[in-house]
Amino acid sequence: MADNEDAGASVSEPLDLVRLSLDEIVFVKLRGDRELKGRLHAYDSHCNLVLGDVEETIYVVEEDENEEETTRTIKKQEEMLFVRGDSVVLISPQA
Amino acid sequence: MSFFGFNTTLPRDQDTGPAGSRGFFENPDPFAEVARASALEDDDAIDFEDTYDGLGDQLNDDQDEFNDDTFGGGDTAPAVGRDFDFFGRTAQVADAIGEEHVRYTLQNPQAAPPAPLHAHVAAHPVAESTKRTGYEKYSDPGYIPDLQAKSSVWGLSQKKPEPSPAPMPAMPMPSRKMMMSLEEVEAQMRNRGQAFGPIPTQSIPQQMPDPSYMRHPQDFPTLPDGFPANIPRNSSEHSLRRVDCPRICRTLLQAFRSCMEARVLCLHLVQNNIPQNLPPQGPRHAGPPPAQRQQQMPPPPSRGPNGGLPVITNPQQLVHLTEEQRNAYLMEDAKRAKRNHKIFLLSRGNGLMTPQDKNFITRIQLQQLVAAAGNVADADPEAVLAEDFYYQVYSQIRGAPRQHPHQPLGHFAQTYLLQTGNRIGGHGNRRAFQGADNHMQRMQQQVQRAVEAAKAKPKNKQLIIEGSLGKISFSNAKAPKPMLNLKRPDSSEGARPKKVQSDLSTSDRKSLLGNIEAVYNALMSMEDMERTMPPPPEEGDTEAIQEHMEWRQQVQTLNQKLWQALKVMEPIVPNATTPHPFIAFLSYPKGKKAIPRIFRHIDQEQRVTILTMIVVHLDSLDVVRLAQHSGPGEAQLSVAVREAIDLFSLAVMPSLLGYVNEAPFNIIIGLLGLVIAQTQVIHVARTKTGLGILTMLLSRAEIVKEAGQASERDWQQWVEKFNVLFDMLEPGLAHIFPGSINSGDDMYVWQFLAAVGIGASPEQQQRLVIAVKDRVMETVGYSKTLPADMSSQRLGNVNLFMRAIGLDVELLG
Repeated sequence: MADNEDAGASVSEPLDLVRLSLDEIVFVKLRGDRELKGRLHAYDSHCNLVLGDVEETIYVVEEDENEEETTRTIKKQEEMLFVRGDSVVLISPQA
Repeated sequence: MSFFGFNTTLPRDQDTGPAGSRGFFENPDPFAEVARASALEDDDAIDFEDTYDGLGDQLNDDQDEFNDDTFGGGDTAPAVGRDFDFFGRTAQVADAIGEEHVRYTLQNPQAAPPAPLHAHVAAHPVAESTKRTGYEKYSDPGYIPDLQAKSSVWGLSQKKPEPSPAPMPAMPMPSRKMMMSLEEVEAQMRNRGQAFGPIPTQSIPQQMPDPSYMRHPQDFPTLPDGFPANIPRNSSEHSLRRVDCPRICRTLLQAFRSCMEARVLCLHLVQNNIPQNLPPQGPRHAGPPPAQRQQQMPPPPSRGPNGGLPVITNPQQLVHLTEEQRNAYLMEDAKRAKRNHKIFLLSRGNGLMTPQDKNFITRIQLQQLVAAAGNVADADPEAVLAEDFYYQVYSQIRGAPRQHPHQPLGHFAQTYLLQTGNRIGGHGNRRAFQGADNHMQRMQQQVQRAVEAAKAKPKNKQLIIEGSLGKISFSNAKAPKPMLNLKRPDSSEGARPKKVQSDLSTSDRKSLLGNIEAVYNALMSMEDMERTMPPPPEEGDTEAIQEHMEWRQQVQTLNQKLWQALKVMEPIVPNATTPHPFIAFLSYPKGKKAIPRIFRHIDQEQRVTILTMIVVHLDSLDVVRLAQHSGPGEAQLSVAVREAIDLFSLAVMPSLLGYVNEAPFNIIIGLLGLVIAQTQVIHVARTKTGLGILTMLLSRAEIVKEAGQASERDWQQWVEKFNVLFDMLEPGLAHIFPGSINSGDDMYVWQFLAAVGIGASPEQQQRLVIAVKDRVMETVGYSKTLPADMSSQRLGNVNLFMRAIGLDVELLG
């Protein structure tokens, strides 16, 4: 708490950028071909995230008989999601 | 003799007839063959037979005839006695002995010997049996094991569970007298020769563990010198000496050698019936005349409940007792049995845990207490907050019963610890109490030290080994190892002005979000400050006043910081392409959510400034700008905008309303003037938020008027402004309703119309009715098709307006 006093509006470390996106819609890319889009409620230094109203997109690559690869997407809607930081690849503000 | 099937016949033997005739090992000289072989330089390797002496063959294996004679086996030999098996026989009755022992110690906890000769015995009062105490005492460094505890092992009391031999002159036991240890015999001889010679020290260990002596010191002093009834004691002593326990004795030996020497000497004197004219000991042993001894002897001075009864060690004794005594004795016996059983039941689980186990558990419990309650000495609420911020805030929000959660918990911990100490001490005797007390104290100190060490540790976050290139960072749960070692600009003040300037020029999203974070930072530090508010200073307490002043100063500083971060006072640029920073701040959900928190920390002047700011920019507020609906039948607003509007009315409006409800009338007039002058009223009126703010202002004016607080001049000013507003509103009145008639969400519109209607002149009211007549009729007609509850709700909304102008829906039929 008190540590953040002076960090303020100035951005001094990467996670300060994430802080700007608090309570905003963010786009999160995860390992294992997954993407999330939702409101960022909380995060920590490990990039653990709590997201609200999340749309999860999973990309599944399938091989059919002709050995042609097709990509299928699975979409899921979650009201609230805790994301463990070690799977986070990228966090992007979604204007 | 062929091992492994070799042909072991030597080449030279092959022609010498049958080997068996002389035997392989005929030659007694073991090395003769070797010598011969080497002498002959036989090319054959040395054989086993050559080197083996053959002595084994000469053994006579079948001469077992006298084994039985030697070892006592065989059918005909008498069974070997078990006279030597003292322990085994004692063990058969070990349980009973143990129980008796417990009972005795309970019954007779403070057996204080009257004679000074045995003062050293009193220094170590009779302890509980091992069964009860476990090994707790061994944890005390000053502890010297009590010999009595083990007395049952000494074979003393196999047949006398109550091992307090009452000397009975009538019953000598000559058979026992026969068995004397070597030491005793020696001592006797020595005593006979020169009665008072010093006793050699080697004999002391054997003399020491005399349980009957140690446990019943009170018996002894009553024994006068030369008293003939010493045989039972002697017998028990004899039996004792058959078992040696030098290990335990050794510890005692050092401490009590001198006393023991005197005592042993005395013992021997008594034992040998030497009429005692020993000068130093004579007076101490001066007992009553022999005639009284019989009654005086058996009842020990302090026997607890057993009080005046003689101790029965032999059934025959019962015969000699009076009827009354016998009954009392039997009763006592029954009681004792009952108690023994109870003790047995209670002590079933005793001794399962070692003292180490107990210490371990206690330590864990103490540590948990200390961790949960914080150190008692540590009165820093900041630490508590840092430890569990969210719980503290949560409990504050939920109306925590206590202001300082730390305090009662520390108190609780203390009480608990004290109680535990009492409980342990309460049951034991004095010694146990001291032991337990010390134990607890030491444990507490230990825990305290551990906690302090743990606290001190995080201070050294890094270790730089000399000559190494890197640093080793320590980490723990509270201070995780920093993965990135970024240097923060030392003077954030220096970096800021530049930043602010850039904010002014580029009011882009990122800097806006940065502003919001700055506001939240300021807010959080202000809320933090609020928690540390010192108690209101009392009259004359200069120190407290000083403290309070300082605190106020800090709050003021933070307030300025917050105010600057809000950027409310940024100059208003007319016709600017980018919205005012504060309005942009309000366009973010988190900006809206911050308003109620901000309003708690700012003064009235700042609040009116914010309200003014909002009113001036009313039509550029996102909730107004994006929420335009051009009339009935228009498409619904987007979800995001509707959410924003809801959030605004939930978060921002109550704060504004809270201020407006107390605002002076001239400010209301001024605000209305601003709405008229600065905004496009028609547009504003088409939004829920805009109408809400207008309703707020109009109703406040009406309340002021009703209360008669408005001066005539003010009221004139107000009416003037209101007329202008009404004229501006009138053309668009039909279009202020959102959506179609069946959307249902038009209550706020009726509220606004009611507020307008109340303040309107009769002529204006008529124009109002004409403007919204269609909507009224439509709603009334539509409500007839609705279920009863929804219908009454809709009609109720309409009635809000109708009643304001003195009408009612009922009149419309």
